[in-house]
Amino acid sequence: MNDHKTVGIVMIEDDEGHARLIEKNIRRAGILNDIRHFTDGTTALDFLFNAADGPAKSGPAMILLDLNLPDMSGTDILARIKAEGSPLKRTPVVVLTTTDDKVEIERCYDLGCNVYITKPVNYESFAQAIRQLGLFLSVIQVPEAE
Amino acid sequence: MVRVRLKLPSSEGRVARWLVAFMTLGFIALAAAAIAIGWITVRNRTYTAEILHTQDVRQAIATLQIQMEQSETARRGYILAGKPLFATAYARTAGNLVPSIRKLRHLTRDNPRQGARLDLIEPRFVQLRALRTQSMTLVAAGRIAEAQRRFAVDASVPLMRGIRYRLQAMAADEVRLLAIRTERQERTSALFLSVAGLAAALLLIVAILAVLLIRRYTADLAASRDSLRTLNETLEEQVAERTADLSRANEEIQRFAYIVSHDLRSPLVNVMGFTAELAAAAVPLAELVDRAEAEAPHILTEDARLAAREDLPEAIGFIRTSTQKMDRLINAILKLAREGRRTIAPEHIDPAQLVDTIVGAMQHIVDDRGAVVRVERPMPAIVTDRLALEQILSNLIENATKYLKPGRPGEITVKGHTERGRVILSVVDNGRGIDPRDHQRVFDLFRRSGAQDQPGEGIGLAHVRALAYRLGGTIDVQSTLGDGATFRLNLPTHMTIQDAA
Repeated sequence: MNDHKTVGIVMIEDDEGHARLIEKNIRRAGILNDIRHFTDGTTALDFLFNAADGPAKSGPAMILLDLNLPDMSGTDILARIKAEGSPLKRTPVVVLTTTDDKVEIERCYDLGCNVYITKPVNYESFAQAIRQLGLFLSVIQVPEAE
Repeated sequence: MVRVRLKLPSSEGRVARWLVAFMTLGFIALAAAAIAIGWITVRNRTYTAEILHTQDVRQAIATLQIQMEQSETARRGYILAGKPLFATAYARTAGNLVPSIRKLRHLTRDNPRQGARLDLIEPRFVQLRALRTQSMTLVAAGRIAEAQRRFAVDASVPLMRGIRYRLQAMAADEVRLLAIRTERQERTSALFLSVAGLAAALLLIVAILAVLLIRRYTADLAASRDSLRTLNETLEEQVAERTADLSRANEEIQRFAYIVSHDLRSPLVNVMGFTAELAAAAVPLAELVDRAEAEAPHILTEDARLAAREDLPEAIGFIRTSTQKMDRLINAILKLAREGRRTIAPEHIDPAQLVDTIVGAMQHIVDDRGAVVRVERPMPAIVTDRLALEQILSNLIENATKYLKPGRPGEITVKGHTERGRVILSVVDNGRGIDPRDHQRVFDLFRRSGAQDQPGEGIGLAHVRALAYRLGGTIDVQSTLGDGATFRLNLPTHMTIQDAA
């Protein structure tokens, strides 16, 4: 973990229920980092790039991204984040979605996604996966935004 | 799409039917006319024969009369002149009389009236001949005067008058008959003419109808040939078009199934997730109730106790099992949809070897169920997608070992043969069988047949059918209840990518 600045978690997930379950299970894994939740792409992008307390302006972050959003595709957000010259280019992005289409997975990795996780439908597996993700979050190093 | 009609439009079909009916009628009428003509001809011949006969009779009457007159003339000449010339003339003419009378009687034997007249004439001829013979004998003996004297007083003149009179009556009768018969013949001739005319007219009509019919059929044939040619020429195109349509529709359905099942998963994650949360939350509540019961029973109501110990766990249990079932169903649809999206890769396969592998992989299940799987060799080689064929056969074999008839050890035979360029792979079992009513139904998604005593969602055979279609094949089942089942997989021998649906 970063010593001087805590890593904020930005969760972009249109399903309130999923968001709540993800948050609960991350907390159960013992992760106490701040979690900001957005249900649509537009406000999420605005926060990421423009907000004063957003990752681009202050502090490192990692992004949990769902691909099925009401206003735009998650891959579009991923492309914006990982675009050449983006201040968040090195920010880790975990794609957490229900889609397990091979083409979609390949596309996300091509765009620079760091981890791709398919939400298991079975809740036990789901909780397990999220808790492991929490453990993962507690050990990874996150770079400063440029 | 080009639609080609090879059948006649209904109105033209009706016209053609009428034409055929008229022609048939025409032929029947022609046949009737031919029969009528034949009958009339026979009648005509009869009438002609009758007329000829009448003429013969008249002729015979006239001959008899002339012979009678000639012989009388010869007799009188002999009496007057006594020359032997007259005697020979008499002998010649009188000798013909008897045959002439006999002939006449013969000719008129069919006519009683003429016969009656002849009966009167004949004795007179006998008397006349006696008188004449007497005259001739007297003259020949030189007693001419006596002959002349006798001749002057004898009855030969009135006898001859009587004969003459009756012969004339006979002739008149024959003339009357001739008139009747001639008229009858003329009538039949007229009838013949009109029937023949009618027949000719009929023939003409039938001929016209036949020509019309032939022309119509020829036109139809030409039209059919043309449309067939068009059909042939555009067949490739149409097939390609249809195939494209089909694969588009198929893609659409698969996409739809995929999206639907996918989007259904999202809310299901919530339902299952929060049910788990609810179950977790119910645990401390139940503990609290337990503690309250032990430490302060008065604050605990019966409702609260029931809610914490029975209602909540029961509700959560039902939600759990239902969502799990729903999850399995959605996964099944998803699996089918995903199978449809998988790329098919045809390769050379020895089905017997493939079946060995499948049976090897499920040997413990087969043994547990007390079944035996036999592979009949050789099996025809096939080019198809290995994974799809493996899934089909393993589903069928698994099913065969699953639905056994109680008390009868399972015997499953897998065999294959070639039939009209296609490979038929059969999985034959001696299990409980499938009611013929359900033969189609068992291939439908989520549908099962018979006693529901085995776990399953009704997915396997739906999956099998989808895979079979995908391989350009078909699957069917032959079975009677309680007597085993045979699943027949019909596949192209050499699958190409174009076969993939």
